[in-house]
Amino acid sequence: MAAIASFLGRRLIKSVFILFAIVVINFMLVRAAPGDPAMVMAGEAGAADQQYVEQLREQFGLNRPIHEQLGIYLADVATGDLGYSYRQQRPVWDLIGERLPPTLVLTGFAFVLALTAGVLLGTLAAMRAGTWSDSAITVLALLSYATPIYWVGLMLILLFSVQLGWLPAFGYETVGGGYEGWDRVTDIGAHLILPVVTLGLFYMAVYARLTRASILEVRDMDFVKTARAKGLTEARIVFRHVLRNAILPVITFAGIQAGHLIGGSILIETVFAWPGIGRLAFDAVLQRDYQVLLGIFFVTSVMVIVFNIVTDLVYSLVDPRIEVA
Amino acid sequence: MSRDFWKAFARNRGAVVGLAILALVVLAAVFANLIYPQSPWDMAAMPFQPPLSDDALLGSDTLGRDIAAGIVHGARVSLLIGLSSTAVALLIGVTLGAIAGYHGGVVDDAIMRFTELFQTIPNFVLAVVLVAIFTPSIANITIAIAVVSWPPLARLARGEFMALRSREFVQAAITTGQGTGTIILRQILPNSLSPIIVSASLTVATAILLESSLSFLGLGDPNVMSWGYMIGAARTVIRQAWWMSFFPGIAILLTVLALNLVGEGLNDALNPKLARKGRA
Amino acid sequence: MSNRLANLKRLATSGIVASGLLAALAGPGLAQEQVQKGGTLSVIVQPEPPILVLGLNQQGPTQTVAGKIYEGLLRYDHDLQPMPGLAESWDVSADGLSYGFKLRRNAQWHDGTPFTAKDVVFSATKFLPEVHPRARANFSHVESVEAPDDYTVVFKLKQPFPAFIKAFEVSTAPIMPAHIYEGTDYKQNPKNATPIGTGPFKFDKWVKGSNIHLVRNDKYYLEGKPYLDDIYFRVIPDAASRALALETGEVDISQYNDVEPFDVQRLKALPHLTMTTKGYEFVAPLSWIELNTREAPLNDKRFRQALMYGLDRQFIRDRIWFGLGRVATGPVNSVTPNYEADVAKYAYDPDKAKALLDEMGLKPGSGGTRAEITLTPMPYGETWARAAEYIKQSWSKIGVKVNLASTDVAGWVQKVSNWDYQATNNFVYQYGDPSLGVARTYTTENIRKGVMFSNTMGYSNPELDALFAKAAVENDPAKRAGQLGQAQKILVDDVPVIWLLEMEFPTFVNKRVHNAVTTAIGTSENFADVWVEKKK
Repeated sequence: MAAIASFLGRRLIKSVFILFAIVVINFMLVRAAPGDPAMVMAGEAGAADQQYVEQLREQFGLNRPIHEQLGIYLADVATGDLGYSYRQQRPVWDLIGERLPPTLVLTGFAFVLALTAGVLLGTLAAMRAGTWSDSAITVLALLSYATPIYWVGLMLILLFSVQLGWLPAFGYETVGGGYEGWDRVTDIGAHLILPVVTLGLFYMAVYARLTRASILEVRDMDFVKTARAKGLTEARIVFRHVLRNAILPVITFAGIQAGHLIGGSILIETVFAWPGIGRLAFDAVLQRDYQVLLGIFFVTSVMVIVFNIVTDLVYSLVDPRIEVA
Repeated sequence: MSRDFWKAFARNRGAVVGLAILALVVLAAVFANLIYPQSPWDMAAMPFQPPLSDDALLGSDTLGRDIAAGIVHGARVSLLIGLSSTAVALLIGVTLGAIAGYHGGVVDDAIMRFTELFQTIPNFVLAVVLVAIFTPSIANITIAIAVVSWPPLARLARGEFMALRSREFVQAAITTGQGTGTIILRQILPNSLSPIIVSASLTVATAILLESSLSFLGLGDPNVMSWGYMIGAARTVIRQAWWMSFFPGIAILLTVLALNLVGEGLNDALNPKLARKGRA
Repeated sequence: MSNRLANLKRLATSGIVASGLLAALAGPGLAQEQVQKGGTLSVIVQPEPPILVLGLNQQGPTQTVAGKIYEGLLRYDHDLQPMPGLAESWDVSADGLSYGFKLRRNAQWHDGTPFTAKDVVFSATKFLPEVHPRARANFSHVESVEAPDDYTVVFKLKQPFPAFIKAFEVSTAPIMPAHIYEGTDYKQNPKNATPIGTGPFKFDKWVKGSNIHLVRNDKYYLEGKPYLDDIYFRVIPDAASRALALETGEVDISQYNDVEPFDVQRLKALPHLTMTTKGYEFVAPLSWIELNTREAPLNDKRFRQALMYGLDRQFIRDRIWFGLGRVATGPVNSVTPNYEADVAKYAYDPDKAKALLDEMGLKPGSGGTRAEITLTPMPYGETWARAAEYIKQSWSKIGVKVNLASTDVAGWVQKVSNWDYQATNNFVYQYGDPSLGVARTYTTENIRKGVMFSNTMGYSNPELDALFAKAAVENDPAKRAGQLGQAQKILVDDVPVIWLLEMEFPTFVNKRVHNAVTTAIGTSENFADVWVEKKK
């Protein structure tokens, strides 16, 4: 227990440094972009004069020296304030709070789907290595891995929404549908299917391949041979002994991928008009909504860090031989 | 070595198929100007021609540009960006990984924290931001992809170097007074090359996917025809004209698939002990 | 039952035709007989507006939504003739120096405060001049704004400014509530999150990234209006999804660039949709390729003319905009008053283009290239990208090599407004009068670094400056027409920009929706007259 506490302590301190570096690097990076939010708004207004642009700059605090702006921003972040969206005139926390849940729902389901289906398929393929079902799973995984994710999304829309009319093609829920309670859940569920499958398919492929490779490697190790010599059933061997050890690299990878899932959702959110954080980030880049973009970087980084810590803890649970360190 | 290598490689049938596809893609890229001498941007046919029409084998796009010509010329860009960004990623990743793995201690710690930094920021988001900020051109796209692709290579190289560092032949080289650079380049690098090559082949595949994703979002170089651009430009007409995004999609799929297959074949051939180990 | 329904339907359709015809003359009226009250309307809004306070932001999407919440003193029919808005009636003195307005007596703000002349004076003298660039320019002609009583407002001008009658459209001069903004920092006012207007619809809820919900204003000053219960504005970032939403009936209305041009023909053919290009007369957008005339060879008139001849603009209209719009003949859109048709013509003629380049001494070098320029395409979507690609190919045929430099909106505005570009495409709104929306991009006094939609090409011609200056204050319509016509002839000969198209935008409306487009601002109108048939 104490080991875990000190592990968490050390990781937290390290995380704070990483976060600090991320904020500073991103701040400088974002400011290297040509143009500023005042210019975007002037450009979109269709008419503007100098006074208009300058008013906006003053309002946004962009007329101060850049190091001063960085100082202000860092101080704000330290107190948990991510600032204000220039464009939407609202606190960044509010925006992220609104946009994060749909993304979490999407990526969460996709992650669970990818992990379960991937591990299952990978295990199946490994147990039947060399047979046609192994080949089929391997080919499926390879194909899903090699196909551009947005293209899959488009093709699924073409098939299931346009041709068959089974599932809604875009959005988070039926707007103005007035659904309550359980109806609302099923409504959101129907909207979820296509994006979740699209996003999940790619990662499922990754996990299936990893699991398969990992099992094949573990399968021939001594402790498995011992188990087999003891006359245990193959299924028992796979689940009790092999999978438990083979799952480790999968967990490691899943920990890294969790953050990337958020990035991948930019494409999915574009294709499926999903009101999530990926799209918010993309719009924020184009609109130079600095604080929103920095806020998203900050929040997603925190999530990745938390996830990595959790992964390490899970790691030690699955394999007691590994101590948290 | 080389004959064994080919033997082992050829034993993996998928890898041979992959190599064949890849060869075709490379040929298309090299001889694009002979196959389709006209610019792929020329409006060579009537717009919206379906595949197998007289003036366009794979159909034409919304402005009457030949899809087949676009795919052949697009192979250049996909390969160019795939290869060059991987080269840059290798340069950054292997260099940092080698230094970290070889020196260990504080240096290792510093470099690994730096690597973690890049792994903490979702990589596609970072690529989008980089390209959007520095404006889309081949060079900037290449750099952006490299910047988000190097961390896994660095980790891999670090692991290899760490393992090899303590091996006898390296220790021997150190005691004979060889310089650090020489040891890294002459002794360790050649011996750690196999997993790096395998990993690099997969990085190329990922880079091609990344490039196409950026183009899909409208962040491609507007001066060159690329597959990602073709899908991006055609995605909105997908319902009237499936072929405009279908064929470039297939081109990407086949190329990425081929690279993966070749990667596995290389793995089989180069790391015979770990045959058929997937990527991690 | 079914018989009655069929009859009703026939009646309804004939009513629509009649009301469509009459709308231009008397505004919507006849259709009221078959009006069905109630119902929900669903409209696409894209991109998501930053804020709904129309006085603070006048982007297209903001207008679409906030045009239902706020109102201007006047509205304008398709011929740009004024109609009553918050002003019941108005008159302009013969000398063109005094504009008097009689206001609605029973109008009130959404929070219950009565609307009075005080609000108009506040808006015209304080709020708008401080934060609204177009209003600032328009009201700079004003000597004084007075309110003799609560329901009368008189604008006195410093000198005649005939375009002034166009300055009261809702996005040009939205009337803002004095009781909420007077004495506050307008941009930081906490009430900005819940806009208060006088319009037929009230703000209810905004789910960012998804939709904006407006509900019926039960206390609207026009008896029985609005007809709708509520309106949802839906944010749908992807063009294919937007088209699909129209197809499935999930949304009822799209406007501006919501539907990509290539989708127009297909959607037009669907039985449940109608398409109109009306309702953009006020903005009357004109697209062009802007040239930085400070730089060689773009500073040579012959070079610019060659570029004009070297472009098949009919192809651009037919194939890139899929038949939307008209090839532009000059700087004024033909739906804008004082359009001059009798100007030099530039039909597609690559040989003439080459001859002009030869005359300049630009002979083909290696690969046939005579000159090289960089085109920074406007980052406003697929169609503009296609146009840039086509322009590149076309000009390469006359020996002008074009390099495309891609950028996003911020980068584009930065480059163009600071003159750091060679060529870019752009489109500019005309706002109902050449003095408002045309002169600004060509006059010398409007060469202002860092300001977008000014004379960013750096074109300067004293003769033209004089004509535009005279026309702005000329109270005699005939004289004014002559001055503006002459200005157009000069510009067309000089080609400071390569005019492309008088743009048309497709507005798609589900057939169950009536009276969606009845004025010069189309779907940005307040929708008090819009009604829907019950969904079957």
